[in-house]
Amino acid sequence: MKLYEYEGKELFKQIGIPVPKGVVTDKPIKWEGKAVVKAQILEGGRGKRGLVKVTENVEEAILELSRLGINKFLVEEYIPHEKEIYLSALIDRDTAEPIIVASPEGGIDIESSKNVKIFHIPLERGVRGYDVLKIEKYLNVKGLEPIIKGLYRLVTEYDAELAEINPLAVTTDGRLYALDSKVILEDNALFRHQDLLEKFGRQPSKEAYVELDGDIGIIGNGAGLTMATMDMVKLMGGNPADFYDVGGGADREKVKEAVIKIGSNPRVKKIIMNIYGGITRCDEVALGIVEAYKVVKKPIFVRLSGTNEEEGWKILEENKIPYYTDAITCIGDALRS
Amino acid sequence: MLDYGTKVVAGVTPGKGGTTVHGVPVYDTVEEAVKEHEIDASIVFVPARFAPDAIYEAIDAGIKLIVVITEHIPVLDMAKVVKYAREKGSRIIGPNTPGIIVPEESLVGIFPPRPFRKGKIGIVSRSGTLTYEVAEMVKEKFGQSTVIGIGGDPIVGTDMVEVVKMFDEDPETESIVIIGEIGGTMEERVAKLKAEGKIKKKIVAYIAGMTAPKEKRMGHAGAVVYMGMGTFESKIKALKDAGIPVATTPYEIPKLL
Repeated sequence: MKLYEYEGKELFKQIGIPVPKGVVTDKPIKWEGKAVVKAQILEGGRGKRGLVKVTENVEEAILELSRLGINKFLVEEYIPHEKEIYLSALIDRDTAEPIIVASPEGGIDIESSKNVKIFHIPLERGVRGYDVLKIEKYLNVKGLEPIIKGLYRLVTEYDAELAEINPLAVTTDGRLYALDSKVILEDNALFRHQDLLEKFGRQPSKEAYVELDGDIGIIGNGAGLTMATMDMVKLMGGNPADFYDVGGGADREKVKEAVIKIGSNPRVKKIIMNIYGGITRCDEVALGIVEAYKVVKKPIFVRLSGTNEEEGWKILEENKIPYYTDAITCIGDALRS
Repeated sequence: MLDYGTKVVAGVTPGKGGTTVHGVPVYDTVEEAVKEHEIDASIVFVPARFAPDAIYEAIDAGIKLIVVITEHIPVLDMAKVVKYAREKGSRIIGPNTPGIIVPEESLVGIFPPRPFRKGKIGIVSRSGTLTYEVAEMVKEKFGQSTVIGIGGDPIVGTDMVEVVKMFDEDPETESIVIIGEIGGTMEERVAKLKAEGKIKKKIVAYIAGMTAPKEKRMGHAGAVVYMGMGTFESKIKALKDAGIPVATTPYEIPKLL
């Protein structure tokens, strides 16, 4: 679950990472002096999209952003600074060890930066003085201890899968401020953090669903097969509207829910469904599709193979829903239709 | 598993000790089960919140192979469990895996039997259904020696590199199919070994997730790209540079073998 910037910064404050003074608001407010007004949305690239404004007139900036459909704003004091650096913490998948990622070039897209260093800090010992010293020397910045320890705690105590400060501002007199926050809490560990969910009034989504910008609805079973289906649609000239994995052993209710959800996306013109029944039963899938098609009116192309496939085909046939046994033909026909 | 011929000698469910399921005796603890039977492997179906306990219990009882089917175990828990297992000399397969199957011999997992036939292709995969698909495609012409799902999570007990090395040494396996996806750098590390000449057998690869947007999790907890590590492009490049044929769709794999 990705946190909003202001939520991430509340956690920062709580664990001792300094942030600029600020307020969260949903309407224009009065503000003395120079400030930064930042749209609170979950998508990245706000700067490039003009959703972050440095201004003397906060009221006007909020009104302007409101006209773009933004309804939550973080207003912060403007921090003059001489340097911006990058710091984040996450778990390295290969070593199963937390790492701190640092770069003396903050405020940019970290992926395109060549100047990045990774510091491994094993779980058994946690952050030590020499870790901090090594990172400070690399970045040529002093006073990082509370920030490194804070980021590390976000990963090891709050179950963040990513805790990122980009940029961390260094002022001329050496004070540090996290100007932005990106904190993604691990969905699977949220049961340990009910207090945070309550505090932020958030509920994580349980579905394996990702929205994309095309017009062909994609449903599959199993993450790998669903991704592969998405990729094949793209390779064959179509544009996927989503990724929806109904998961292993999906019953008719789950399938029905998925088809209705994808079918009711106004951008979706047709649906491609790719099912290989292992523990999932094809007859259950077929019944789910038939149920959903009492409401959904868009064309659907179903590839159905595996456990109980004959029963599944029969159900689809009786309900005049075309089916395929081969995914490539199914996708091809769908794209040509 | 019983139907497939796997000798399931004991089950463990706290509070159900003394009962039987399909003729298999149930115990309250793994320790009790180990006292009564000779046990080579354990399979864990326990819900995510309690799964780490079940894995620790199996490790402490000295079981050397632990297959964890459970999905949604927190990464931090797995990071600790995996380390503990390594120290104690137990091998974990998974979590979030369909398991391991040696066709017509043994199954520790939830693979459906239909796509499998004894043969010479070793398949290692981060996926479930996609593995069944690929297995079925190579079933008639080649058959499979061993099929291992390593699991779709960011941290797994046994990674693709280890399995590829084992396949390379396995006399039953003639060629290797790897089914990867975006996120992590396992596929890149397999490519590196191949490029260095450390893997002798033929490898064919498929990678899912070409169209996945960055930082979006595609169903599997492990199918997500952070910091630009493990993108589709980096995997394809590494594999191709190592001379490993890469299938553009999973259905192309049999042609490349």
